[in-house]
Parts: sequence; C-alpha cells; structure tokens
Amino acid sequence: MRLELHHDTRRRSFLHSAGTFGLLALLPGIGRGASLSSPARGEAGRFLTARELDTLRAVTARFIPGPPDDPDPGAVEAGVAEAMDLLLAAFTLASLPIHAGGPFSNRAGAAHDDFADFVPMDAHAELGWRIRIEGSKGLAEREFAGPVVGLQDIYRNGLAQLDARARKRFGADFVGTQSSAQDLLLSDPTETELRPFVDAAFAHTLEAMYGPPEYGGNRHLAGWKYTHWDGDNQPTGYSDARVSRSGGGSLCLAPAAQRAVVEQLLGLLGAQSTSPQGLWSDCREPVKH
Amino acid sequence: MGKPSVLIVGSGAGGSVAAWALASAGHPVLILEKGRNLLPGLGTAGKIGSLFGNDEVKAGRYFENQDPQLEPRTSRTQAEAGQGKARSFTGDVNNLATTVGGGTVHWDAKTPRFWRQDFKGRSLYGPVPDANVADWPLTYDDLAPFYDEVEARLGVQGDIQRMPAGTLAQAPRKAQFAMAPNPPMYGGTLLAEGARRLGYHAYPFPMAINSRPFDGRPRCNSCGFCSGFGCPINARGGAAISFLHHALLAGARLAPRSFVHRVETTADGKRATGVSYRDAGGVSRTQTADIVILAASAIETARLLLLSANGAHPDGLGNHSGQVGRNLMFHYFSVGVGVFDDDVHAWRGPSSTFTLDDFVGPDLGAAAKAAGLPYLKGGICEVGGSSLLLQEAQAYATVPNTWGRQHKHLMRAGLFRKHVAGLSMVGEDMPQLANRVDLDPDIKDCHGVPVPRITYSSHRFELAASAAITPKLTAICASAPGAIAAFRLGAEIAGTNSTAHIMGTARMGDDPRACVVDGRGRMNGLDNLYIADGSVFASSGGGNPTLTIMALALRMARGVGG
Repeated sequence: MRLELHHDTRRRSFLHSAGTFGLLALLPGIGRGASLSSPARGEAGRFLTARELDTLRAVTARFIPGPPDDPDPGAVEAGVAEAMDLLLAAFTLASLPIHAGGPFSNRAGAAHDDFADFVPMDAHAELGWRIRIEGSKGLAEREFAGPVVGLQDIYRNGLAQLDARARKRFGADFVGTQSSAQDLLLSDPTETELRPFVDAAFAHTLEAMYGPPEYGGNRHLAGWKYTHWDGDNQPTGYSDARVSRSGGGSLCLAPAAQRAVVEQLLGLLGAQSTSPQGLWSDCREPVKH
Repeated sequence: MGKPSVLIVGSGAGGSVAAWALASAGHPVLILEKGRNLLPGLGTAGKIGSLFGNDEVKAGRYFENQDPQLEPRTSRTQAEAGQGKARSFTGDVNNLATTVGGGTVHWDAKTPRFWRQDFKGRSLYGPVPDANVADWPLTYDDLAPFYDEVEARLGVQGDIQRMPAGTLAQAPRKAQFAMAPNPPMYGGTLLAEGARRLGYHAYPFPMAINSRPFDGRPRCNSCGFCSGFGCPINARGGAAISFLHHALLAGARLAPRSFVHRVETTADGKRATGVSYRDAGGVSRTQTADIVILAASAIETARLLLLSANGAHPDGLGNHSGQVGRNLMFHYFSVGVGVFDDDVHAWRGPSSTFTLDDFVGPDLGAAAKAAGLPYLKGGICEVGGSSLLLQEAQAYATVPNTWGRQHKHLMRAGLFRKHVAGLSMVGEDMPQLANRVDLDPDIKDCHGVPVPRITYSSHRFELAASAAITPKLTAICASAPGAIAAFRLGAEIAGTNSTAHIMGTARMGDDPRACVVDGRGRMNGLDNLYIADGSVFASSGGGNPTLTIMALALRMARGVGG
C-alpha cells in the first residue's frame, strides 16, 4: 500500500517553529560516500557554477535543515545539492548516475557494491533522459510532443530568478537573505515563476536525502541514520521474528515536538482517536501482544 | 510442414503464458516486446539474475516503467469530454512496467481468483443504470483448470484450511497451495485481529512468492521493497521468470525494444498477416505470422487496434461493434489506516500477508437503494502495509506545512512508515461505455504515433460502495490491538491516473455486436487474431486481475493449439 495524499503545492507553507533544540555535534559518518568527488563550498559543480551551487545548497537547507536549525544532519550535510548537480551533469559523466545497478550494494552482506555500477542506457532510454535533463533544444527528434524545458534550464533560470526576487523583495541575494525571508520566497504561491524550480528541487532533495548514497547524496548515510532506516537490506533481508513481532519503540514517548507535528498531520487527515480521552491517552499502558 | 507460426505482441502476464504454452507445443513463436530486458540470463541455461535492487530512486525514474517523456498518455474526465476538452493531463497515466515480463517484474504478486459471480453479474444481479454490465462467455469452472496450472507454475503460497467457506464456494480449489504462507507481517496480524473482533475473517493472502525454495529460486526474505520494485533475488514468480524463461528454453524467440504500431491484414480484412514495428535500431520492419496474439495490456492493445484501421476495418481493427477501447475498468481503492504506538513496520515483508473477503458483496441493502442502484460490491482487502522511507517523505511533501523542521520531526517520528498499517480495498469498477481509450487527436509519441487518451470517471456504484464500506475499514483499524487512532484515505484523493489494474477495452462475449472477442479470445471477424491480456475482461471483479489474465491466456493458447 502506498499512502498518497492530496497534492497541491499552492497550499504549501511553513509552520511556525515548534520547540527548541540543543545543538548536537555531527557524529562521524561511517557510510560509503559517493564514488565521484564532490565540489567543496565555493567551487563550481559539474553543471552548476559555484554561485549557483551555493544558492542551491541554501535552498536545500530550508527544505531539510541541519545544524544549527535542527540537531540532525540535513540536506547540506548529506550533499544533496551536489547530487542534484551530478544529475544535471549526467551526460558529461563516464557512466550515467540515473539508474543504480543491482541487485545488491555491499551494505547488507554482499561483497561487491552492484549499485555503484550504474545501468547503461540504450538509445531509447537515453533519448528520454536527454529530453528530461537537457530539454528539447529545438531538435526535431525531441519535439514530437512539442518543446520541452529541461531540468538544466529549470534549475539555471530558477536559481537566477530566486536571486532576482530576493534582491527585489529583501535587498540581498538569496544566500544573503534571512532564513525566514528565504522560506517566504520558496513557499509564496504568488511567486509563480519560481514554482517549476521549487517543485523540481524539492522532489530531487528528497531523492538525494533518502535514496541510496551511490547517487551522490545521503552522504555518510545521513538520511538513513537520523530516521533509523536500514536502507537496502538485501541479500540478508529480515528474519521471521523481525517480520512478525513488534519493532518496539513508542510514538507516544517521542519528543513533544514530534508528537505535535504528528498530531497536526493526523488532524488534517481526519484521524479519530480510539480513546475518547484523546490520541495519547492510551500511551501510559504498555501494549499487550 | 510444421505447426503454424505465432507472433505475440507483449511479453507480460498474458503474452508470456501464451508464448510458453505454444512454444512448448512446438509452434515457432516470436515475441515482440516494447521494453528492454532487465533480467540477465533470462532464457539461458544459467541462473536468472536481476538488475533490480532495494532502490527507491531507481523505481521512480522509469527504470522498468514506460518513460512518459517519450511515450506520454493523456487523460480527461467524462465531463471534460462532454465539454469538448481534448485532454486535461498529459504525461504519466496508468503506467505499467514496460520491460521484458511486463507488469509482473514489479507486481505485488497477489493472486486471488475471480469468483463465480464475477463471470455472471448480468444474469445473477441484472443491469446497473448507466453501466454496461455483461456476463462473461465462460464460467469459473471453465477457467478453474487453468488457474490450477498457472498457479502450479508460478508457485503460489496460501493455506486452503484458513480460507473462508464463502470464498471456497465462490472459487473452489481442488488442492492445497504449493507452499505455506510467508511469515505473517506484524501490522497485518494486528489488523487481522481487529477484523476478528468485529466478526470478519482475514486469512493468508495467496501470492506468487516463494516461502520455500521453488523452481530454482530462493525463498522470500521479506526485504520489504516489494510491490512496485523488481525482486533482487527472484523470490517472486511472474511472467518472465515462470513462463517466458521456459518458453525461450523451448525455442521461442524474443525481440526486445520492438515497438509494434500496426497489425496488418489481408485485403478483405479477414485474416491478420502480421505486424509492422520499429526494431531496436529504429528500423521499420514487417513481420508475418500465421497467428497473431495481442498482449500489450488493455490500454496499448486498444490503441494498437485503433491504429490498425484499414479499408475493411475503418473504425479500428475488429471494431465493427464500436466497443474497442470502451468499458475501460480500473479498481477503486479505498483505504483505512490504523495508527499504532509501537513500531509495527508494516512495510517489512511482501507488502501484505493477509487478505479479507468480507466486503466483496453483493450488498443489496440500504446503501445501494440510497444510491439508486440494485446492489453494491466492494472487493478483497490487502491487510497491512505502510510506506518505505522515500515514499514516506514524498507523502508528507504533499501535505501543507511540512517543509523544514516539521519535515524532520515527521521523518524522525516515522508515522507513515513505522506507526501505521493500512487496509486497502480493491473495489470493483462498473464497465461504462464512456470510459474509454481512444487515440489522442494531437499528441504523438517519440515514434510519431498518436498516444492513447484515457477518458474516465467513476460510476456512482464505486463511489457509493466506497462510502459505505470505508467506515468499516477504519473500524477494523481502530479495533486492532494497540491502535491509538484510525483514518481513511479515498481513491478520490489519489486519483485514477496512478492505478495499475487496467481492464476492459476489448471485452469478450457471445454476441459479436456487443463485444470484441469471443470466449476463446479470438477477435470477431478475424480468423487468426487473438487477445491475451486484461482488455478482454467483461467485468473487473473485486480482486487483483493478473492471475485471471494468465489463466485466460493459457486457455486461449490451448484453444489455438498449445
């Protein structure tokens, strides 16, 4: 079953911050990094310029914040913008970082990381991804269904537009704007020219944060560690006991800030508590199995 | 002289089964498949490999699915069609895996059989207003031996002892399943107990997944990347692995990346002579055959028939009835969700391990009368299931106010991943003439061929059934041990562009004026053209359709000579 909810980006906006957080030092990572070297801050990416890449990092930091806004590593620490740059530059690379290989990485018992051996594309598949990334560029073989604006242009134009709008509204480039103003720009439904970029960047941020690290993001498995996610688990899989018995844990004992957001979401979904005393009222008694 | 040659369009559930039956019987068989092969070693004496993995990114990047950038589809509602609107959406519509093995490379592998009543809805319950209800030209008993044979080759798990008497009366089985059920998923076990407390009966879901080594393939290790993911270890049976592989070993030939865009006929239109297609190198070719079988899925087969109009078939091949493309059916999914305090990890395992038949119906009660309908039907339920990590993040992304720190709170809490278990009903869809596939008048694919346009609106039958039954689903969820809350998700939220259960569009029947193929899957008015996919369904039933597609394809192939 896949949970699909109402998709309406116009209604997206940010909640006011709830709760306060202490600052935690980043734990040293033990995960496998991307096989391709990544540009450092201030360096140009493989497609994006140094300035564009810095702006994109700032955007992803608003989507999935890390320290000091949040105690756990976020999109910047996970190298999300660098992974997005790799996707935009895919056709300049020796192997296309679009479809990781299979069947196993080397994280769950296999000797070799098959994921790192990206699956080569044939001419048909490549045409689709060239149109998606590069756009149709006026080429007849790419415009059978009309002109297509590719991701490269969506990102390049979107990042430029973001700076232009930030200067006009707040008197500084996006990177130099306060985070609350950055949030406003990214979530403002009247900023219609920014929407294609914001929607693409948010979707790619999620992929790069929570997907396998072979795609260049999820550095040090940051996206999997803070969510306590095993990631790919083949060829080991799960024992019968781990399938059939409780995983333990407790939503009720989660920090108040987490419970507040959960409760808000459940309210939005029209969830009914099983107890007339409210959602968390049963929590004091341990669940019997 | 050898046996007649057979050309099959599509290597999915229907095409692979037909290929296996006919190649095994000594026919020269060629399968033209639009997609590429992602199972190294398929059809060789060596071990079958897999290029799939526990990779949510790849699954969302048209690895095995048709790329809508190259082959978009368009859609609109009946109301939009009535207003003369050509389309309201262009892109990813009803995408099935377009690869060797078709949808079964990443299917959920749930294999309920259709019920006796599904084949005789018109005779048993009469007409439904504004719907095109018809009997099938065959009975459950006609199909039962083919269900048995397909299940035996797929390797289906289940437990006949735990199946409700009502289910076995509707879909009798001669013998116990080939293997025992998988270890039960914890979240599903809780929902099954919730169902029991309310007088319902959940039981192990029959599915084509190995609970023990079978057919040279290992047992399932419950990795959880199941429905929508190719199996990394080939523990799941399917068209490619269970049928096409053996067809190829028996001598059938497979040509991947071959896009068939026209069925050719004799000048009088009475026989198919072969097909025209683009090969992997983009070269236009024609292939002749004595027998042609279309198995491209309900949307693509209807499109191909409409693309193949000629002087003898001016409205599309075999479309003298005007029914080609019509009666398109999906399933109407209704979802109840239980919220739990502990980590019920309802993603871990083969998507779900229990099913529930209590809402299949028909229900002749007040809800039907209130909707002005003679009866309502729901469907079987997939009991237990939740989201993987990226799926969870994407679900939150569609909710307002969930960027930034709120996103991280939700992901740490893991609500949709760890603390919910869902109950998803596969609701029966009424066939309607106005729900159809036709050729989009403007949009073309990368081959320059008009794309299929889907016109679809739910019938009030589905809406009323969902409205009546969904509260019962949430009641089960709320009654599960440890549940702290329950809510519902409706198909009206997810929309129908994403469903992968696609049926109708070339329905079978006894009256050539009202249907497209006969009871043996042969097209009316064409001696040697057959259909072996979900397009022949006359009703959608309340259950996953693939096993029935396979059983029908096997029966058709045996009729042809396999």
